[in-house]
Amino acid sequence: MSAVAALPTRKSRRSWLFALGLTLVGINVAVALLTLVWLPYDPSSTAGGRLETPSLLHWAGTDRLGRDLFTQIMIGSRIALMVGAGAVAIGAAIGVTLGVLSAFATRLLDDTFAAAFDILIAFPTLLLAMLVVAASDTASLWTAILALGIAISAIVARLTRILAKRVIGMDYITAARTSGTSWPQIVVKHVLPNIWPTLLVNFALQFGIAVTAEASLSYLGLGAPPPNASWGRLLQEAQGTVYTAPFGAIAPGLALLILVIGINLSADGLRDIGDPTRRGSR
Amino acid sequence: MSNSIFRGSVTRRQFGARAIAATAAMVALLGVSPAVLAQAAFDKDAVIEIGSLYEPQNLDNTAGAGQGVNEAFNGNVYEALFALTDAGTVENSLAKDYTVSEDGLTYTFTLQSGVTFHSGDPLTSADVKASIERVTAEASKSSRKKSLATIAKIETPDDATVVITLSEKSISLPYNLSYVWIVNDTATSLTDKEDGTGPYTLADWRRGSTLSLDRNDKYWGTAPTNAGVTFNYFTDATALNNALLTGAVDIITSVQSPDALAQFKDNADFTVTNGQSTTKEILAFNDRVAPFDNVKVRKAIARAIDDKKLLESIWGEYGTLIGSFVPPTDPWYTDLTAVDAYDPESAKALLTEAGYPDGFTFKLDTPDYDPHPIVAEFIKSELAKVGVTVEINIITANEWYTKVYQSLDFAATLQEHVNHRDIVFYGNPDFYWGYNNPKVIELIKQSEASATVDEQTAKLLEANKLIAEDAASDWLYLYPQIVVSAASVTGYPVNGLNSQFFAYDIQKAE
Repeated sequence: MSAVAALPTRKSRRSWLFALGLTLVGINVAVALLTLVWLPYDPSSTAGGRLETPSLLHWAGTDRLGRDLFTQIMIGSRIALMVGAGAVAIGAAIGVTLGVLSAFATRLLDDTFAAAFDILIAFPTLLLAMLVVAASDTASLWTAILALGIAISAIVARLTRILAKRVIGMDYITAARTSGTSWPQIVVKHVLPNIWPTLLVNFALQFGIAVTAEASLSYLGLGAPPPNASWGRLLQEAQGTVYTAPFGAIAPGLALLILVIGINLSADGLRDIGDPTRRGSR
Repeated sequence: MSNSIFRGSVTRRQFGARAIAATAAMVALLGVSPAVLAQAAFDKDAVIEIGSLYEPQNLDNTAGAGQGVNEAFNGNVYEALFALTDAGTVENSLAKDYTVSEDGLTYTFTLQSGVTFHSGDPLTSADVKASIERVTAEASKSSRKKSLATIAKIETPDDATVVITLSEKSISLPYNLSYVWIVNDTATSLTDKEDGTGPYTLADWRRGSTLSLDRNDKYWGTAPTNAGVTFNYFTDATALNNALLTGAVDIITSVQSPDALAQFKDNADFTVTNGQSTTKEILAFNDRVAPFDNVKVRKAIARAIDDKKLLESIWGEYGTLIGSFVPPTDPWYTDLTAVDAYDPESAKALLTEAGYPDGFTFKLDTPDYDPHPIVAEFIKSELAKVGVTVEINIITANEWYTKVYQSLDFAATLQEHVNHRDIVFYGNPDFYWGYNNPKVIELIKQSEASATVDEQTAKLLEANKLIAEDAASDWLYLYPQIVVSAASVTGYPVNGLNSQFFAYDIQKAE
């Protein structure tokens, strides 16, 4: 009885966390949209003092050149969301296509695909990013998005393949096939509608991972080049002055933390909605 | 180091005699009392722990070993005929004396007597000949190779005499010979062993970690004031600073950011010295191609950038503004900071005159390490104010070497030039920045053929002014040279000229 009684409490706690997650992501989206029309300072204005501490004028202080850090962090939010969305879009497009193809393919081809996904998953994202940068000559936001998109596509493809195969094994698919439904129709009418809730949760999780990974890439100089205010680059620039102006590193770090927590909580919440059997299972 | 002429193997700084006074003044300014410098009681058996970011790639300076080998070995393990002192003067070392013929083409050097290599072999003129030929050899990767190209013939009439005949006059020969290590001509595998004549012998080199030198008890000159030194190599500046804070090292040879100094500056346990560097941060244009083939455009860019604000952003209270490629400590220095000083209004007017009333866009190839990216961002924001758009292209040091230095495939770039006496690069129209002013080329050529140092100085001074007037490049600022040590350690070089770090006078209090 006690377990049954505990369920509603857990459920409400989880929905509260889901709401929090959505709020955090929502704030980020709002800030990112705001940067398109308004910024507190011109991001390239060097009018501030060197490494000023946070104040009413400069909420997150200034960097070495005297630029307002809060402005940079706001722009960083837009970049983070762009990278997350772009990488997941690429990953989803490639991953779902390949995963479904693999699930419907002959045994040999399917095995080959599966092995390829596994190899790609084992391939370090960093190395992949370096290859993409090398192939495209210069590092940019787009090379980072592309590299992360490719990395994500392998994970999505593997998941899609497994989920799709499970659906294909169902009796009603056999029935549909014998009644003459074409493969494309089966995919659109039966497979995708059945697997999308699980995929959606995975996309959300990958979104969070992509945001963190982009920060790492930018930190290493493989992401958005200056003066793009990616959070990873802000962290890198603050590294040398971390003793004298610690806030320069703390502020972009916090921004990154808030967005990633928001995304992860949202992903958890989405999973609970899409998969009632797992509700409260953690 | 592929880009060895820059951060790599070469020369860090060269000075005129006035540098001695300047250095003394700076040491005084920084609050190092003369009493500390002239510390009496020291432990002559102390081993000095030196912390550095520059581990050599190998131990042979003709095999692309990088600046680290100069730091550890110049004057410590190997000596040359002449020594470039920390104050920038050239003094006799293994050459006891020398004479120059009337036509300036024949130099006769007499060697010090009683000098032996660490292996026990005596120093002879044959060793000197072999050592110079090691540097000028086909396979040599020495960046000084070109400056010794005027050597036509080396003769050794007896064991203590070397006669060098030049194809054309070269007043810088003794100076250039200060880069040539005298190595035993029978020595082999010099990339991981040594056989020099210096006050220290190589004890142990643990790659990636430490390189230790022991006092050479059979040294021909004045014995070191310590029992040995260990260079501790770090790849991360923060880790290096922490090593000094915790006492794991006694000295840091070169601090690369003013912010790391905060923890040492107001602490009586440490000494911070602000010496003179010759490292110049420059915005180099490709003077061959439009729009930078136009002097007016180059001058406009120079006037549009507030160098003072940039220097303060990067170095806080440290560093020096320069108006040309020549640092204040070179004999041919003159204050040219007024030439194309910060003036955005006249920059705009010049751009209009040059036919770019609405500005233009160019790509700035920026090495990926500090401070270049942040300098690039500053330049971008400054030039935006005069309508010029900068596209920052971040590249690695190796890409810089192949793309910019070798292929000349660039519009403008950022680079730090560490060499001293490197104004001569502007006399080479094939150099990467492609500056080509026949008058400057002639002056620089003539300066080398000068009969006297005064004549050489006058010629280079004139060239210096012309180069500045042409805004051949935009010289942003001069780096400071900052050494930090435990207060108990004294006697180390404060300028670290040519990356050298003479260890033999270092004393550690008992």
